[in-house]
Amino acid sequence: MTKGILVFAHNNAEIDYVKQAAFLAGRAKEYLNLPVSIVTDKESIGDRYKDWFDKIIINEIPTASTKKQYYNGAKTHSVLEFKNDNRCLAYELSPYDETLMLDSDYVIADDVFKNCFTSTYDFLLYKDAIDIAGNRDTGEFSTISETSVDFYWATCVFFRKTELNKRFFDLIKHIQEYYTHYRKVYNIQSTTYRNDFAFSIAIHIMNGFKQGNFAKKMPGRLFFTADRDILHSIDGDKFIFLLQCKDSLDNFSPCQIQGNSVHVMNKYTLEDNLSA
Amino acid sequence: MDEKLAKALEASNLLDTINQQKKILQQQYDAGLIHYENGCQFTSSKELISFCQSLISLEQDQIVLIDDNGLPSLIEDLPVFTKNLVNTYATASNKYFNEYNKLKKQRSVAGIFND
Repeated sequence: MTKGILVFAHNNAEIDYVKQAAFLAGRAKEYLNLPVSIVTDKESIGDRYKDWFDKIIINEIPTASTKKQYYNGAKTHSVLEFKNDNRCLAYELSPYDETLMLDSDYVIADDVFKNCFTSTYDFLLYKDAIDIAGNRDTGEFSTISETSVDFYWATCVFFRKTELNKRFFDLIKHIQEYYTHYRKVYNIQSTTYRNDFAFSIAIHIMNGFKQGNFAKKMPGRLFFTADRDILHSIDGDKFIFLLQCKDSLDNFSPCQIQGNSVHVMNKYTLEDNLSA
Repeated sequence: MDEKLAKALEASNLLDTINQQKKILQQQYDAGLIHYENGCQFTSSKELISFCQSLISLEQDQIVLIDDNGLPSLIEDLPVFTKNLVNTYATASNKYFNEYNKLKKQRSVAGIFND
């Protein structure tokens, strides 16, 4: 059984996702001893980072990209292309029998994902996550809308190549194709296509349109910081963040976390800290 | 130290920062309690450890336990499983204890981050 990490990285005008993916590849080797393959486009990767990846899979984004706001701290943001249309192809693009699919802004700092590959279960992802700030309303990560179904994170997903998982990813493709319809059925307000929403809808359908256990829990806990927070530094497995204070755009509270991986949503300050 | 960090440190209330760090330690502790065995996840709790010890005292070697996903798993060597469970619990608790004590002794925000 082959095993490895798959990361999708398509750059836009300001964010170098490929650089983030290369950083992730370095840390994956250090903490998990796993090869990393990247799915990207020719323009994004160019001639860079050839030796960093196990396989470089070129997949040009097939459909028009959506746009979203990228925050850099609480006061600054840009509206940029959000090229996330091909995550549904993970099953067929992955060169591995057992795949750990990670977002490029997930910073590995522990070896807990080794337990995915020994798991009895074939499909794992997080339903719950921990906001390091601890004092914000995280209701948007509880259900995909106020009157809808459970929210699942597509940030870290483990899957084996099974017939059932193939059906799941085919279902994601279908949801993506008819997203306007599903968005209305599931009462999602935002028009931006999000992988988290598509995965959540697909899990709901796979469970027979109710809560169920098609998706099992990923090992460990998912820690995250919002894009309003600032990543000040990464030193080995130690992170220092400046967390936006509640109800204040100007004040930040420092915070430190060590020995756990973190999903860093502020792409700008993540890039500032990359040594790749 | 850069200007942004210096400004944030200056503005921070020591108690707020310590409380924030305590919350993170608690969350890390919860994550550290998860024990992986048999391809399943089990949260190592005092109750589960006591339950396993009770079974061992009743001379049981095997038991079906329900994992964190709510599914059954056959534990074939209960004494070894229990020992591993205790190790996970002790490791997480000791780490929490040490980190908490370090934090408790801090008298400045800068001290927390420079330690």
